[in-house]
Amino acid sequence: MSTLKFYGHTPLDLGKAAMPGHLIVIEGTDGVGRSTQIALLKEWLETQGRAVMDTGFRRSELSGSGIDRAKRGHTLDHFTLNLFYATDFWDRMEKGIVPALQSGMVVLADRYIYSIIARARVRGVPAHWLDDMLEFAIVPHQVFYLDIDVDHLLPRVLAYRELDHWESGEDFLRESDRYASFVKYQGALLQEFHNLSDQYEFQMIDARQGVWDVFDRLRLGIGDAIERGS
Amino acid sequence: MESHRNAHLPIGLRYGSHPYDGEFPGRLIIVEGIDGSGKSTQIDLLGKWLISLGYVTVFTEWNSSPIVKRTTKRGKAERLLTPMSFSLIHAADFANRVFTQIVPALKAGTVVLADRYVYTAFARDSARGVNRDWLRRLYSFAIRPSLALYFKVPLEQSIQRIITGRSDLGFYESGQDVKPTSSRKKAFRQFQGAILEEYASLAEEFGLVTIDATLPIHTQQEMVRELVEPLLAGVMRTPGNSVTEALIRSGLSGRYLQEADSRRSSELVPADMT
Repeated sequence: MSTLKFYGHTPLDLGKAAMPGHLIVIEGTDGVGRSTQIALLKEWLETQGRAVMDTGFRRSELSGSGIDRAKRGHTLDHFTLNLFYATDFWDRMEKGIVPALQSGMVVLADRYIYSIIARARVRGVPAHWLDDMLEFAIVPHQVFYLDIDVDHLLPRVLAYRELDHWESGEDFLRESDRYASFVKYQGALLQEFHNLSDQYEFQMIDARQGVWDVFDRLRLGIGDAIERGS
Repeated sequence: MESHRNAHLPIGLRYGSHPYDGEFPGRLIIVEGIDGSGKSTQIDLLGKWLISLGYVTVFTEWNSSPIVKRTTKRGKAERLLTPMSFSLIHAADFANRVFTQIVPALKAGTVVLADRYVYTAFARDSARGVNRDWLRRLYSFAIRPSLALYFKVPLEQSIQRIITGRSDLGFYESGQDVKPTSSRKKAFRQFQGAILEEYASLAEEFGLVTIDATLPIHTQQEMVRELVEPLLAGVMRTPGNSVTEALIRSGLSGRYLQEADSRRSSELVPADMT
């Protein structure tokens, strides 16, 4: 039976226990349709008789309120903020993902360390340091990247809500308006995701397609990944 | 001055692209040692001397960032922290102090005194089983100190000092998160012993200057001042401008000054941080 693989060193004694579960990551920028796909996949997998845990990028019990406080107007340097994110990520990995994998579940992760890394790299945090800091992350059985460009992303986001301060990069960009800021920031962010795709072995899925086409591709890919990992 | 070139290069020299490569006009002096080694007393005495000489002195303490501290405190109180999250949250605290406190103060040319530094994390977290090499890379954004002092004390003596000084030993400082079965006192002894061993190898690896912390306090302080003095050449000093002295000379009580001070200090702290 398989044990866990990590990007860098094996943290503590996590490499010893048998982990019959599967870790599947869906990555992509905000508004690309991750949560829709995860909802569909969860239903599909459960129908197939698999126990599923979906885990988001939401705040952990440990450092969630600290991050919220930090984001509420206090200027926080990027090293501190990303160490907060790393703490949060570790906490969810150790207390959520690992036990679920140990019990043989399929873990569907809505984003993973790649979102932390891409966002930080855009803001000028050294890439080596980010890779080092987050090297304790479990290597997923498969990472699916929902690929889109800014032109196709904009109408999707706008049809649904207004552009958000953080996803427009207004914390560090000084553009004339939010639209300009969003275009510049998302352009840079999507580029960083592409830069990460080889290093972290993303399977790219064209997210400009319709929901059902993307879902079909994901189903196929996940079926393969589960097959390979068993 | 030549001897201090590159004094403040980041610890992780493998990164050419550190945001703060280069030399700062200030000095960074740090003290390390296990609990009860007397390092805080020594850095406090050093600070008083420096201030008396007119050096602008900035103190920074381990685990004291206003933004991160609360999370750490809650994590400890509710025992949510495990060795890795313990390590990461302390790195967050340290990073916040490096970038908001230490670097600006060094750029401004002050003497920064740090009670505990990265070596505390290296010693404690390694004793908790965290990967040594990873810790060094994690903390690679740290600024290399001008002088790092390690106050070395035998385990028994430090334990004696701590037990007589306080009635309660903490869950985490006793390492009970990694060895939950043993009694608090026994766990504390074991864990501090493991940290002591880590310090011994850290002193060698990073060239920490070891001070025999069993010597009388004033003897140690003399040694400390002797080590610090040569580092102070060319560091900014301010003319004596003690407000208290001026008040006495003018025969004033400083009533309104006190009011203004208390108003200012309450304004400095954002409402949700109090």
